[in-house]
Amino acid sequence: MGPDPANQTGRDPALGSPRERLAALRVRLAGPGGQAAPRPVLPLGLEAIDAHLPGGGLALGPPHEIAPMEPADMVAALGFALALCAARLARTQGAALIAAAPNQPLPHGHGLAGLGLDPARLLLLEAGGDAEVFRALEAALHARALPVLVGLLADGLPLKPGRRLQLAAEGGADGDAPPLLLILRPAEAGLPNGAATRWRIASAPAARDRFGTLDKPRWRARLERCRNGRGGDWLVEWDHAAHRLRLPEPLARDAAAAGRSRA
Amino acid sequence: MTRLRRAGLAPDRGPLAVAAEGSGGLRLLALDPEARALGLKPGEPLGRVRARIGVPLQVHPADPEADRAALLRLCRWAEGYAPGVAPFGAAEAADGFYIDVAEASHLRGGEAKLVDDLAGRLARSNIPARIALADTPGGAFALACYGASDRVVVPPGGAAEPLRGLPVAALRLDPGTVAGLQRLGLRRVGEVDALARGPLARRFGEALLLRLDQAMGRRPEPLAPLTEEAAYRAARGFLDPIGRQSDIVVTARLLMAEIAPRLERDGVGACALRLVLHRVDGVMRVLDLGLSRPERCPERVAALVSLRLDRLGAGLDAGFGFETVALTVTVTGTLSVRQTELGAAPQGDGIDALADALTQRLGRPLLRLGARASHIPERAAHTLPWTLHGSDSASRKSRPALSPARERGLAPRPASCESDSPWTSAPTSWPDHLPPRPLVLFPRGEAALDVLSTVPEGPPRRFRWRARIHAIVHAEGPERIAAEWWHAPAEARDYYRVECEAGRRLWLYRDGPHAPGRPAAWFVHGVFA
Repeated sequence: MGPDPANQTGRDPALGSPRERLAALRVRLAGPGGQAAPRPVLPLGLEAIDAHLPGGGLALGPPHEIAPMEPADMVAALGFALALCAARLARTQGAALIAAAPNQPLPHGHGLAGLGLDPARLLLLEAGGDAEVFRALEAALHARALPVLVGLLADGLPLKPGRRLQLAAEGGADGDAPPLLLILRPAEAGLPNGAATRWRIASAPAARDRFGTLDKPRWRARLERCRNGRGGDWLVEWDHAAHRLRLPEPLARDAAAAGRSRA
Repeated sequence: MTRLRRAGLAPDRGPLAVAAEGSGGLRLLALDPEARALGLKPGEPLGRVRARIGVPLQVHPADPEADRAALLRLCRWAEGYAPGVAPFGAAEAADGFYIDVAEASHLRGGEAKLVDDLAGRLARSNIPARIALADTPGGAFALACYGASDRVVVPPGGAAEPLRGLPVAALRLDPGTVAGLQRLGLRRVGEVDALARGPLARRFGEALLLRLDQAMGRRPEPLAPLTEEAAYRAARGFLDPIGRQSDIVVTARLLMAEIAPRLERDGVGACALRLVLHRVDGVMRVLDLGLSRPERCPERVAALVSLRLDRLGAGLDAGFGFETVALTVTVTGTLSVRQTELGAAPQGDGIDALADALTQRLGRPLLRLGARASHIPERAAHTLPWTLHGSDSASRKSRPALSPARERGLAPRPASCESDSPWTSAPTSWPDHLPPRPLVLFPRGEAALDVLSTVPEGPPRRFRWRARIHAIVHAEGPERIAAEWWHAPAEARDYYRVECEAGRRLWLYRDGPHAPGRPAAWFVHGVFA
């Protein structure tokens, strides 16, 4: 028989709300040294989302899974992944590697400008299958030469390769930050794996500029699963000039509507 | 014959013949000993032979190309004895090859031992062979084809004597000359050699004297070796064959360490390497290694060999082990001594090593996106093999500008690049004034069906694409992109950016209307992020 939780709380009145108890538990789990070194993260620049992520951003190293809400949203998911990729590249040197399984959509060089990504900083690898993608990503993780790795998978991330990727990310302990590892997979329900977060991306009507033309891309991003964090659902907008995600400003449209109604 | 039996195409026993189309139907071309014992001769018509002998005869069609390929394989194998191996050409009218063992026979313990070794190995592989070793290629050929024994070693300087007793056909003459000599009663080489040269040259031409002198060693005969002698080559033989991967890697490192000083002296590095593994039973494994930049560090080459062997895995099949390992630098590039700058990030180095590692491990090159000077969307971008920026294209030999004629997925190794047209081969920079382009562009437009539009020739209101109805809420355009008439006749396209109800943004174009009878067709060419 395990100890009765009610009794435990009774014995230790210092621990109040469940949230505080969780925080205390995390400190205890982290070991005697406390948080040894905070894991490097990529902050998304959006407090609303960063607050849901452990460490205040996407952890560098462990895989992050990005899936489209439905199959037709694959390009939106790719756009979201490349936007994160651009956000990371804007803060560091080096290039991003995109390892793609066959028949996965590869970015068009001229279309990358819309995301604020320099085509010269992208390396492509056309792998023969998911297994080759995993091997390439693992080699790149070990090499520590690239700050961003993106894998486009045909099937999904099974448990074992996910674990291997995570181990490879933890491998190099020589001070340099591990790369941001993004795994793009099809819409089908994913298996449990070692991914740190799982995002579901759907396209959303783009922002309009003053003249009513299509401007910044918007996506509906759902944080389905997040280890040591909370899920969430946001409508985000990509600012390709500032290389950061933004929440759409509801005021702008309201103001316009107000202006119209006044006129 | 041997090729058929070795490939398992013909049974091991029973008379066997190879026939080819000759004058008056199929004629025998080659026979095995059993068939020859039945009294058959090459050149006989197959039908008559079938009628004459009472036993079933296995007949196979002649395949000169496969024979040639088999001979070349054998030549490659023979390169393990000496690098200069030349297959017989048209003049010899026989299957075989020369090995230039000058300065190489001592490696096998002398000429006689070398010939014994060669004969023994060929016999173990069931390849019937006649071997002669003489001072001149002509003399060796004559003795091998017309000599009394199937294994002849002529001591140095004694080439002329054994030749005198051979028939004149041994001099590699054309059949007309041979027939003419025989009509004059000249049947032996010695008889021809004894005659005055002037009349002979007048009657039979210079070729006869040339062949005679070449055989006798009075005139040099250059051989055309199969592979050009590489300046940067190292090989190592083993008394006990090696089979373990780590041994091969260590050997590759030692060989590279042997080559490296020579490369350094010439100020070059290896861009491509070939590692040749000779197996005990005569099979050869050739591993070609490409590098993303010139290199002469033995450790890095060893690491690449290791990765390559990893990928081969069981495919390497060491069998009973490899007895000779040879490393050749096939492509070189200038590699000056570099000083590493203090404080500067070793930018390319890591990617470089990674690119090579991926190439060896997966067999796939790293690519990058490149722009092309074209307005046609599907022509405006392509992928190129990734190379280190800056220093590479200018300094590398045998690596011309990257070809733009390559579409995605078809990029071969950079070493084999060729540029097709001079004015598009220069790397183009990405234009910054382009209207928005989709994040994913389809190689060709996908037809949009059931298009419904409110304005004639205006953007559609709804259409069906990929088994789904798309209702358009917003459209921008058109952007007219004219065809490139200098490539192929085509029509201009009108592109529209549309956003459908679900928020997906597509790039549509209208093709037409070109003629009264042909209405406009709509295609989806890309998807925006």
